[in-house]
Amino acid sequence: MTETGPQAGRATVDVSSGRTAVALVAGWLVPGAGHAVLGRVRRGVLFFVLIMGSFGLGLAHDGRLALYAPREGFLTALQLVANLGVGPADAFARMSVYGEAVYALPDQYAQAYKPLIETFRARQRSAVSAYGTAYLWSAGLMNLLLLMDVWDIAKRRKD
Amino acid sequence: MRSHFAHLVVYSAIIATFFSALTRRDRREQLRFGGLVFLGMAGGVLLLAYLMFPFPR
Repeated sequence: MTETGPQAGRATVDVSSGRTAVALVAGWLVPGAGHAVLGRVRRGVLFFVLIMGSFGLGLAHDGRLALYAPREGFLTALQLVANLGVGPADAFARMSVYGEAVYALPDQYAQAYKPLIETFRARQRSAVSAYGTAYLWSAGLMNLLLLMDVWDIAKRRKD
Repeated sequence: MRSHFAHLVVYSAIIATFFSALTRRDRREQLRFGGLVFLGMAGGVLLLAYLMFPFPR
């Protein structure tokens, strides 16, 4: 298929596999950084603002920082993926909310279980938690999409 | 922010801007596509809300 439109003919650059790897890792660590590594700085800055804005709104509105629970393994694993997509910012958020970067519910007889589940449920009871969760998970999923976009740019499938 | 409508507008704006920047390169195309996504999301929800209005429970 012939490329048409204003982007047709825009120069694409060969990207080494090392630089691709750096772009992917950077893109996960800091949303938008992958695009910046590949020379798409303005786009990277826009993506950073959108994703971190969504992430910040999610935290401010008591969004769910999912915890893996074996009883609902599949669903909670998917929720975790959505949370983790945003990178280390998720770990900092967990430290600030739960006191440590915890990703799974401990055994219900463990000492750490009660305070953790109470914090988790208190956030869930918040009137705005549903909005916050939508913002938080969207931020993570948007960043995962960005990583695929970085891959496509590096492989010259798009500019 | 507790207004459902405000969240609808902000969330739709974030998603529309993101996907227009991700999938379109030309500025005019971005505006067109972003506007369509925004109107589709915000307008769709409002339309659905009006359709559900006669059935409160």
